[in-house]
Amino acid sequence: MPETPAFALRGVNCAVGNGFALRDVGFELPTGYVMGLIGANGAGKTTTIRCLLGMRGIDSGEIELLGRRVPGSVSLRQDVGVVLDHTYFVGEWRLAEVERTLRPFYDRWDGARYRQLLDEFGLDPKARVKNLSRGMAMKLMIAVALSHRARLLVFDEPTSGLDPVARAELVGIIGDFLLDEGHSVLFSTHITADLDRIGDFVTLIHDGRVVDTGPKDEILDAYRVVRGGPDELTDLIGVELIGARRSPAGVEALVRTDEAGLLDGRVLVEAPTLEEIAIHIGLSSARPALRTRTRGAAA
Amino acid sequence: MNAVFRATVLHMRSVAPYRTQFLLVLALMVVLDLRSPTGLMVATAVILAPYLAVQPFQIADKADLTTLYAVLPVTRRAVLLAYYAWAVVVYLGALIVGTALSYVAARVEGDAFGGGQLTTLLTMSWALFAVNVAVQFPLLIRFGYTRVNVLATILPIALIMLAAYKLHLTIDAGQVWLPLLGVAGAAVLVISATLTAHVFRHPE
Repeated sequence: MPETPAFALRGVNCAVGNGFALRDVGFELPTGYVMGLIGANGAGKTTTIRCLLGMRGIDSGEIELLGRRVPGSVSLRQDVGVVLDHTYFVGEWRLAEVERTLRPFYDRWDGARYRQLLDEFGLDPKARVKNLSRGMAMKLMIAVALSHRARLLVFDEPTSGLDPVARAELVGIIGDFLLDEGHSVLFSTHITADLDRIGDFVTLIHDGRVVDTGPKDEILDAYRVVRGGPDELTDLIGVELIGARRSPAGVEALVRTDEAGLLDGRVLVEAPTLEEIAIHIGLSSARPALRTRTRGAAA
Repeated sequence: MNAVFRATVLHMRSVAPYRTQFLLVLALMVVLDLRSPTGLMVATAVILAPYLAVQPFQIADKADLTTLYAVLPVTRRAVLLAYYAWAVVVYLGALIVGTALSYVAARVEGDAFGGGQLTTLLTMSWALFAVNVAVQFPLLIRFGYTRVNVLATILPIALIMLAAYKLHLTIDAGQVWLPLLGVAGAAVLVISATLTAHVFRHPE
């Protein structure tokens, strides 16, 4: 595994306004892997990405992208492709015009590859950007990113609003992109099912803070979902219940695996999905203690 | 290729799809001012050119081009300076078209057009355009077209009218100040561009 991380954020603080801020955000992705950035709407995913890309200034901390400090030279953007949940091209542009417009800015722009990707993705070069469906617009942005030979793809909520077929196609495209071991992907989403298939690392963000970060399998192993009757799962049992959901039928909550042993026999304890972890952390009013895992177990 | 030049071309390409509506505005001006070569000249330089100059801001707001500028390997400074470069290009284009149309209109109407009158019009329209852009652009860059469009349009007009009133300026009086007006227009534009590129060089 190469030593230089694809990116790293260390102790990043960034006040956004309306009282929201990123607080002491820190996580990193080794080169060659996919990281899922998970959090509810408003958790700070987009702000984190904007800071990472140098689109927003930070108050303190340190950001490293592809081995270089951010903010730094704009030449760094030659190596980064950004895919959002909406296009940032003029709606009236035809897809061929998108290429003519962007090509002068990229040193390694490959026009033949762009046209080939449009063909592969079923995009008509004569189509206008405004007439593309969400799935097609996402493919256009991916085609642009791959045509300038980006080494890091950053996706911000790319699958929200996509149908399952388009989401499956995206997973396939990312898989192909990762065939080159120098390529990495940051994937921000609140649809965690996508990460079940492609995520190597996961960072959970809640209320502007990183709650947990590390290899996906370790994060899945670190929590358990517990279900029991209202009397069986109370705040008095000596185990921290993260994001407890109470109903007349019972209580469901997340607990740390090392504490789950205290509950054995009394309640139902199960391995969680990423979605369950994200939901319960999103529900928790108090921030769970930060856990940062080493990357050793990822590979 | 120079970064400012590339960014200027990018602004031009963002505006290009809407060329039909700009031509319609020009056509409307021609129809309204056909009988007045002077009016046609002033209309293209003082109304059409500023209208076109702010279009990259409007389209940037509409299509989230601010994100594109932040993603492309081009400095924010180059993008900001390119707004001004685009404005100058638009002004020169409007001037050429306006002058040509005015000349044709003058021929049709049998009016005299050119010489001192033309020089006065060109210089004053340049000064007005420069002040307009110099005041508008920093506001549009800081707050975006949607939020300050009206204020950014009214403010320079108010400043120009106030200056004309306080200094008792008339077109005749302006002839005395003509060379100074031309230089002052360029200076105001350069100062505005330099300050804007410095003050707003960092994103958000």
